Amino acid sequence: MSESERALDVAERARRAASGDEIDALVHLERSGFARFAGSTVHQPTLIEDESVTIRVVRDGRVGASSTNRTDDDGLRAAAKRAGEAADNAPADPAFPGLPPAAEAPAVEGFDEETAALAPEEQAARAWTAIEAAPRHGLYGYFTSGATDIAVASSTGIAASQSMTDATVRALAASDGESGYAEATSWRAGELDPAAVASEAAEKAIRTRDAAAFEAAVCRAVLEPYAFAELLWYFAFSSLGALSLLEGRSYLAERIGERCFDPSFTLRDDGRDARGLPKAFDFEGVPKEPVTLVEDGVVRDVVWDRRTAARAGRESTGHALAAPAQAHGPLPFNLVVEPGDADVDELVERVDDGIYVTRLHYLNIVDPREGLITGMTRDGTFRIEKGRVTRPLVNLRFTTSFPALVERLLGLSSDVKLVNLSDFYDERYPYASLVPAVATETFTIVGSGSGPGL
Amino acid sequence: MRDLCRHAVDAAVASGAGYADARAITRRAQDVSTKNRQVETVSDAESAGIGVRVLVDGAWGFACDRRLTDDGARDAALRAAAFARASASRGGKRRVELAPAPARQGEYQTPGHRDPIDVPLAEKIEVCLRAEEAMSHRDVEITEASVRAQREERAFASSEGADIFQKFYECGGGISSLAIADGRVQTRSYPSSHGGSSAQAGWEYIESLGLDGEGPRVAEEAAALLRAAPCPAGVTTIVLDSEQMELQVHESVGHPTELDRVYGTEAAYAGTSFLKPEDLGSLRYGSDLMNITADPTTPQGLGTFAFDDEGVPAARQPIVEAGVLRGFLGSRETSAVLGTSTGGSMRADGWSRMPLVRMTNLHLEAGEGSFEDLLADVDDGIYLATNKSWSIDDKRLNFQFGTEIAWEIKRGKLGRMLRDATYTGVTPVFWGSLDALAGPDEWRMQGLTNCGKGQPGQHAHVSHGAPPARFRDVQVGVRS
Repeated sequence: MSESERALDVAERARRAASGDEIDALVHLERSGFARFAGSTVHQPTLIEDESVTIRVVRDGRVGASSTNRTDDDGLRAAAKRAGEAADNAPADPAFPGLPPAAEAPAVEGFDEETAALAPEEQAARAWTAIEAAPRHGLYGYFTSGATDIAVASSTGIAASQSMTDATVRALAASDGESGYAEATSWRAGELDPAAVASEAAEKAIRTRDAAAFEAAVCRAVLEPYAFAELLWYFAFSSLGALSLLEGRSYLAERIGERCFDPSFTLRDDGRDARGLPKAFDFEGVPKEPVTLVEDGVVRDVVWDRRTAARAGRESTGHALAAPAQAHGPLPFNLVVEPGDADVDELVERVDDGIYVTRLHYLNIVDPREGLITGMTRDGTFRIEKGRVTRPLVNLRFTTSFPALVERLLGLSSDVKLVNLSDFYDERYPYASLVPAVATETFTIVGSGSGPGL
Repeated sequence: MRDLCRHAVDAAVASGAGYADARAITRRAQDVSTKNRQVETVSDAESAGIGVRVLVDGAWGFACDRRLTDDGARDAALRAAAFARASASRGGKRRVELAPAPARQGEYQTPGHRDPIDVPLAEKIEVCLRAEEAMSHRDVEITEASVRAQREERAFASSEGADIFQKFYECGGGISSLAIADGRVQTRSYPSSHGGSSAQAGWEYIESLGLDGEGPRVAEEAAALLRAAPCPAGVTTIVLDSEQMELQVHESVGHPTELDRVYGTEAAYAGTSFLKPEDLGSLRYGSDLMNITADPTTPQGLGTFAFDDEGVPAARQPIVEAGVLRGFLGSRETSAVLGTSTGGSMRADGWSRMPLVRMTNLHLEAGEGSFEDLLADVDDGIYLATNKSWSIDDKRLNFQFGTEIAWEIKRGKLGRMLRDATYTGVTPVFWGSLDALAGPDEWRMQGLTNCGKGQPGQHAHVSHGAPPARFRDVQVGVRS
């Protein structure tokens, strides 16, 4: 029995262990290794093997859920009993749309046998390959690879399962007064070149020595994919899901159909895109539909789960989270920004006078309705003067409107990069955005922080 | 569970580990939330497993297994040892040493009258719905209430002979009102934002919060914020409420005094620290009024225990005294490097994560006088309450924090309400501008469950106590 078949078997056994008007079971299997390194030493190597099941029971319109990582028959029976008790104790939920009907999930890529089979010794070896490629600096980061299996079985006939793999190498090359960053992600570990990532980080670090101050200003900027992907994700978290739209918290509220962004900006969520980390269905077993969120600068849609879709008279697009996180509403885990026609040097030329940002740190949403986000730049911030990157800058605090940033773009790079956005809290569910570098007319710097380096 | 830990440790040592420890953990957690008087979430989760940490040839390895059986314990131990061996295979710049620590045996249990897990789900739902009812207001679009309960058992054993069993209860809750009109979104919450406050305590803690009693004020303030003026920009005197002070302590004192950050272990993700080991005992962190204490013995603290996740006994320690850096948060590994005894802050987020240096309970000690006394010496300033947004740089120097609500202070009294308030500063400069702290009667402690750190990520549950405090010459009103 494959891991995918085993996941579905656990889900079916969990479903059968419960009783109610409707039942679904979500199974999550994880086998992963994390070769984390610091100061050019593998320091926190972590191997994880877990499997968990979440059972949802509906009785007379009352909904309850439980989860366990005991997947033997006794464990499943106990979890099913607790889910039933949770439902019995809950008042009826008039907004619950019922469990989704059976539907065939699309065939997607995203699983690589070699990646799934990568042994801990090989994970450690790839971390060392990165470390040894940056001999002038301390290297900080990790190599990780893992296999995740998701399965959903329901009383409405859903029997979906997907095996996925992911691998990421992240590298911060740093010393006193210098730091540079790079990363690479793929569902095929063999596509990653840890030495190249470490070299990119080290070469960036060398250029950050003797960083200068920069006055607060609204300025032009080039954002590398690492920086742009993180900003986009925070905006997505607050504005690209249907719940925030329906509740009026989203920047997109009352703006569907309006041209809000630069005509060169097109944004999709596409779980089927093999260049990303593909997903066939959401945590309720609903097939993932590609969603055009922004087309040529015009806001087209947000992503929907079954609950928000029922409220708006729509169909789910397959973006539900797992219980109990469903209360946060649907989220887009496979963002894709259409590339432009420039290389990064051309983006710098178009900015002419501004700043160059490699990576961001500690973002937070200041005002979701305005799309206002604050955070710091780090590990490679530079001044752009006369169309060239000229000198390093200290880390800068920005408090900037994401919509304003993409309202007037000076260009997007023709190359796109897959940027991992999962920090691997809780069960492993890797997700990443495929984005280009961007040049913008508007990036708001409000202060300065520390310099680069340790 | 204790036998399994010893079994895992024995297996690790037999496979070549010079040091090994094991944590077997069972956790049961319930979450109930309601929104606009409908139940959003009723969930009941359990998780169990064993995590084994080993040192082989001076290199760490960690592996875990969800099976609480002899086979699961042994397999985790062997995998951890193999991963450590692979990690050590090409040397490295550092060989891990552990500071000596006596092997302890003991048991501990959170004091409390009513196990929060045993409280019926129906009662938990009722608490939420009653609190929501109290937030009824025509201008409030969304009301939310939530309660959580957790019971956790932790067994620990080490190859040095430690043998410990601890049982913890946690519960918490909170309410919020969201008012939306004319493109503005305003929130008020109680007892704190971001899901409320938690404590290591029996269910009586939830009852003490009085969620329904605070509902009308929370709703009224959310609605009033829609009509409030925006916080003006400028440099002025600010007074922060105790909840915002707890966030200030967490971000600008707690994280920078974690020794793994000081030594760079977290450099790639959470960041480093502006502090250096040699700053201990000499660095001027803030004004003479600033006294910060790490105290894992605080009653009801989420960071309270008898032993940390390395088996080191809980001990209260000064971090900042009269404005001078006096201590770090550390582990046996960082203590060996630093050469002082500052371990006791190692904590793991469950059985599947390796322990990290984490905050326990970190408090700003009280001053004297009342909240009104703080205001009395302000001719023109701003009072900010309840955290809304937070961000700080990777060395923990430049920060920008926003609060849900603020008020003008004019001639020693609170004036009109202000919305969208933010303030910014640089850590030692900001703490240097501290010029008054309210007294013990105004000191409050709250617990948060979302402190993120580590790769793979880990959440820590920590508590902070603080009084309202006053700072001079602070930049407020930072927006694009």
